[in-house]
Amino acid sequence: MAPKKSATSSGTTSSSSSTTASASAALSNASSSAAKSASSGAQQIDQVALSLVQHYQKATPQRTKLIDAFMAFLVVVGALQFAYCVLAGNYPFNAFLSGFSATVGQFVLTASLRIQTTEANKSEFPSVSPERAFADYVVGSMILHFFCINFIN
Amino acid sequence: MAVATDASSAPMELLVSVGKNQSTKTLLRVLILCFIAAAAVASRLFSVIRFESIIHEFDPWFNFRATKYLVAHGFYDFWNWFDDRTWHPLGRVTGGTLYPGLMVTSGAIYHALRALTVPVDIRNICVLLAPAFSGLTAFAAYLLTNEMTTSSSAGLLAAAFMGITPGYISRSVAGSYDNEAIAIFLLVYTFYLWIKALKVGSVMWGALCALFYGYMVASWGGYAFITCLIPLHAFVLVCMGRFSNRLYVAYNTWYALGTLASMQIPFVGFAPVSTSEHMPALGIFGFLQLVAFLEYVRSAVPSRQFQTFLYVGLGGVFGVALLGLVGLTTGGYIAPWSGRFYSLWDTSYAKIHIPIIASVSEHQPTAWPAFFFDLNMLIWLFPAGVYMCFQKLEDEHVFVIVYALFGSYFAGVMVRLMLTLTPVVCVAAAIAASQLLDTYLVYKSPVAPEAKEEEVTDGTAKKSKQSALRSTSQPVVGIYTLISKGFIAGAMTLFLLIFVQHCTWVTSNAYSSPSVVLASRMPDGSQHIIDDYREAYQWLRQNTKEDAKIMSWWDYGYQIGGMADRPTLVDNNTWNNTHIATVGKAMSSREEVSYPIMRQHEVDYVLVVFGGLLGYSGDDINKFLWMVRIAEGIWPDEVKERDYFTPRGEYRVDSEASETMKNSLMYKMSYYNYCSLFPPGQAQDRVRGVRLPDQGPVLNTLEEAYTSENWIIRIYKVKDLDNVGRDHALAASFDRGNKKKKAGKKRGPRVLRAE
Amino acid sequence: MKFTAIAGACLSLLSSVAADANITAPSSSKVALPSTFKPPQVFKNANLVHVVSLEKNFAKESINVLIENVSPEPQDEYFLPFTSEQMEKVGGIEVKDRKSADVVGFTVEAVEFDPLSDTQYYRIRLPAPLSPKSQQTLGISFHYLRALSPLPAAIEQADKQYLLYAFSAYCPSAYPTLKQKTEVKLPSADIPDYTTIAGSGDVKEFPVKQGSKLIYGPFPEVPAGAVSAIKVRFESTKPVTHVSHLERDIEVSHWGGNVAFEERYTLFNHGANLSAQFNRVKWAQSQYFNPQTYALKEMKIPLRVGSKDAYFTDVIGNVSTSRFRSNKREAVLELKPRYPVFGGWKYPFTIGWNADTKFFLKKSASNYLLNVPLLEGPKQAEGVEYGQVQVRVLLPEGADNVKFYTTAPESSITGHSVDLERTYLDTVGRTVLTIKARNLVDDFRDRELIVSYDYSTMAGLRKPLIIFSSMISIFVGIWAISKVDL
Repeated sequence: MAPKKSATSSGTTSSSSSTTASASAALSNASSSAAKSASSGAQQIDQVALSLVQHYQKATPQRTKLIDAFMAFLVVVGALQFAYCVLAGNYPFNAFLSGFSATVGQFVLTASLRIQTTEANKSEFPSVSPERAFADYVVGSMILHFFCINFIN
Repeated sequence: MAVATDASSAPMELLVSVGKNQSTKTLLRVLILCFIAAAAVASRLFSVIRFESIIHEFDPWFNFRATKYLVAHGFYDFWNWFDDRTWHPLGRVTGGTLYPGLMVTSGAIYHALRALTVPVDIRNICVLLAPAFSGLTAFAAYLLTNEMTTSSSAGLLAAAFMGITPGYISRSVAGSYDNEAIAIFLLVYTFYLWIKALKVGSVMWGALCALFYGYMVASWGGYAFITCLIPLHAFVLVCMGRFSNRLYVAYNTWYALGTLASMQIPFVGFAPVSTSEHMPALGIFGFLQLVAFLEYVRSAVPSRQFQTFLYVGLGGVFGVALLGLVGLTTGGYIAPWSGRFYSLWDTSYAKIHIPIIASVSEHQPTAWPAFFFDLNMLIWLFPAGVYMCFQKLEDEHVFVIVYALFGSYFAGVMVRLMLTLTPVVCVAAAIAASQLLDTYLVYKSPVAPEAKEEEVTDGTAKKSKQSALRSTSQPVVGIYTLISKGFIAGAMTLFLLIFVQHCTWVTSNAYSSPSVVLASRMPDGSQHIIDDYREAYQWLRQNTKEDAKIMSWWDYGYQIGGMADRPTLVDNNTWNNTHIATVGKAMSSREEVSYPIMRQHEVDYVLVVFGGLLGYSGDDINKFLWMVRIAEGIWPDEVKERDYFTPRGEYRVDSEASETMKNSLMYKMSYYNYCSLFPPGQAQDRVRGVRLPDQGPVLNTLEEAYTSENWIIRIYKVKDLDNVGRDHALAASFDRGNKKKKAGKKRGPRVLRAE
Repeated sequence: MKFTAIAGACLSLLSSVAADANITAPSSSKVALPSTFKPPQVFKNANLVHVVSLEKNFAKESINVLIENVSPEPQDEYFLPFTSEQMEKVGGIEVKDRKSADVVGFTVEAVEFDPLSDTQYYRIRLPAPLSPKSQQTLGISFHYLRALSPLPAAIEQADKQYLLYAFSAYCPSAYPTLKQKTEVKLPSADIPDYTTIAGSGDVKEFPVKQGSKLIYGPFPEVPAGAVSAIKVRFESTKPVTHVSHLERDIEVSHWGGNVAFEERYTLFNHGANLSAQFNRVKWAQSQYFNPQTYALKEMKIPLRVGSKDAYFTDVIGNVSTSRFRSNKREAVLELKPRYPVFGGWKYPFTIGWNADTKFFLKKSASNYLLNVPLLEGPKQAEGVEYGQVQVRVLLPEGADNVKFYTTAPESSITGHSVDLERTYLDTVGRTVLTIKARNLVDDFRDRELIVSYDYSTMAGLRKPLIIFSSMISIFVGIWAISKVDL
């Protein structure tokens, strides 16, 4: 674990300088495009999504993208579970609930980890170092899964 | 107690100034906290010293019985406990319908002490649990207040207030072994952890907060207060534009883990996802995801795009969520607000719709003197403290403000919820008081500028020769003279002393009676203990069949289960209104109606509480109208409240009483044979202060089995069906006739009957 | 073997007791014999006076008999017959020599041969064999529990209670009896029914009634095993107090210098039941006149002088209706049950008190002698009987070489054991001596229990050392953890 962590943390620091530059570039890009197509809402949404994707691709370090991939996976799993529940009935409600809340819980925990480790939020978490954040994340996940397993019967 | 608390508040400032370096301060703080905890524990021991180590009142008897069961049978049996000795013949799934936190806590303490081979009686653990936890609550209040201000004296003051304020003592004296005993500690500590998590923004604090929240859920139904307050705090913060990633982390960790933790308790089960009380928390959870996403988007895209995105996106999501909520509620997936919650919004709701809730005295709206009685000087320091919070208005101060508003409202609606208000009152009052004391007690730093000022102004005064100008020329505004400082500080100290005095007085007079044991004074001033309850319960326990069913009004169900160890029909866990109404009907109907009901429920003994001889006002005749009302709720045709009043609308028990009243089983059981205790024409009911008719009521289907020394408890045995097949009225009148005729003759036939 | 109760005065006596503690500690009070056993006809009873005392609410019988060895050899085994029903109820058999008090060493043991036989025996072993043709006067005393039954079995609350006792006018004996007489002592002269039998000599009809006393006999020679059933019904409006189980704990603490007593009673009233339900009005009214009643209202328990901190509780807590008077001359615990205990009712309770070790404990080198009453408990005019008694003596942790001796009849002691019990932060556990006894009555209140044990200073220091070291290790542990965390 340790070598990977140190490698990624150094990666974030190096990418931080490029983040600001790309953000400003995206800003100017987006504002110009917004001026052009103020007529239709749908187009605007498209524009927003577009600029969002651009911003994301530029501003996010590789490790955070990994986390995001995991979160996306969790969203998919959660959606599947929910769809199953709606379509096939929620008979073992315990099982569904614990499975679903495990995904949701894991999602928000991962999101918390992502927020805490993001360089831009550093000022908001003066006492939470990335290592601390990761340890907290592990502890939180363990508690979460303990409860889920206990609840699933 | 007075000395200890005084020592904790007054020397505090003095000692802090003495303690120069950090470690001395820490040591002092720890010592003072220990003293406060000791004072908190000590002030709750009045009842143990005055009476004995005994479980109080009604509900604690059930908790005590459940704890004994837990200790005797182990955790798994307790978890799956089906109790067939209550709610006869229905039984109660006790393991799944209680909050196990309290019992598990004392069970764990018991086993820990046993592991250390300290032979301690489980009863003593149960009796002393509440005082022990009150010491912890004081500590939690210290921590919570320390999060609010930088002044550590505020924390210590809050701890001292929390330790001795009557509003909390009322539910945590020794022997008051109720869920609140540990729940208030958990409440305050959960709030502390929440504030901590919010400030640090750490998953670990959030997880801790969730764990304690889970513990709280396991302990008390009042957990819903936390469930509503934390989301509300989050919502208010978001509305104030104070959304932060720390809030996101703290709230989500708390909600995701806390909800799962709360669902582990069988009694709570799926409630967090299926009842309306828990919906705000879920809603805020979703809302925070949205806001967080929006924040992210805002940081990523330009503001104009963001605006349109906001309108479209937010509007859509809110519409869908609201529709979904309404749809699920109407579809029955989410239970609507329960009756108890409605009664929180509309105080007259319960009176009309759920008499069983309204019949409990602690569910009544609070009378205004109660605030002063329970909180004394804190009640006027409290708004000042809240005002201080407005001045600073950090995230945690918003919490105090929100808590204060909601706590005050709920405390006003229900007497019992005074308890949830008390912590915030202590915190806010401590902030205010410490602000006052910090300002007026520090004489060193103000003295120096004052002296300088004095000299300077003295010098300048000679030049200007205008005293008015002199005062305005002072650059620092404040009070500097020692007299005014001393006056304020003295007044404050006086108030604090009066507060301590008041707390001691209230605790000793109002909250330390076990209500199982009554105390009275003999003519010579010595204490005389009236122990009728236990006398009768012990008689039941020792001299009736192991499975003899006892019918009584539900107030005494837990006590009969705990002390007499006999099955009961109804008890204080009022889960089945119909069953209670059945008992109410049996009590309020004529014998001919009641007897079949009692036979159907296999009742062997009927227990009534009668205070007429002693002037004990909490007896069954005074509760009788509630029985009638509850029975009327189910059988409006057979039981009518109006019939129990005289034509002039009075509730009377003497010769003027209505026929229905006189024929009701409760009336008959209460006054049966009572007048023969007095000379003719002298029979008197000392509670209602009326003279009773000389001819007492006649009972046909019941016979008096036991009456306690002061007549408080009367136990009747339900007669079997007559051997010869006569109805009871006939058989009884035959017996009476027989007795009169054969009174002088030998007693052959009577011996025969006894065989 | 009568020991003075004043513990301080008899150090020399106590050491002699310690010497024979080994010998007298009974292991089992039953003797196994072949199932075809019949007592050999080696004695005859030259003269016998049988006194049946019913003044208390149990039957106390004493047999003063002059025995004569009729066999050619010296004999030392005298057998005493009981029916198997009586065997369950009999207790406290003691034998003395009526002529001289210094003849000691009679041993009494139940004989086990055929459990189905209706006649069972106790064997009395004389201290010295009786030579042929010589005589010895034995004073045998014992009592029956649950021997009195109320008749009628159910009466009114204010009625008088009548008890019935059945016995044999001829004293049951395994040997022929030349001359005998049976005296029945009753609590009152109100004796409505008693069996009359044909008289002998110049008396036409037995019994002869003298006040509250009935005398059957003297009878001429009666063969071995002869029985003449007699029933007496007499007035005794007093509770028939029966304690089915008594657990008595005596905990010795050397550090505290304290001996703590706790007794748990399961008490019944075996008197007449109420024919109607309890009537509080009548009861309250009758209390003004304080009449004789068969309900148990109050018990007085005289304790040793110097007892303190007495308490009286039952399963639901302290019973407030107790009084404890303790001064230089006496210490009396007065108990009132929560409710008057009528016939057929039950009242279990617990009492306890503390006392200083100086009243009970004597030390010589590392050996200690503990001298406590075997039985305390209520002292009632009408008597109290105990079915099963268990006395536990909790000695300090590390006490060993435990021996005991008691002045109570050894036939009543059914067993004893020495175990360990862990309590109050013990590591090894305390030495617990458990003595079980059956069928005792309150006449044995002042019988002593003497326990001798060794207890070294090291054993006394064990607990403080262990607590100290564990506290130190906890603090060191906390300190170490705090260092690591930083």
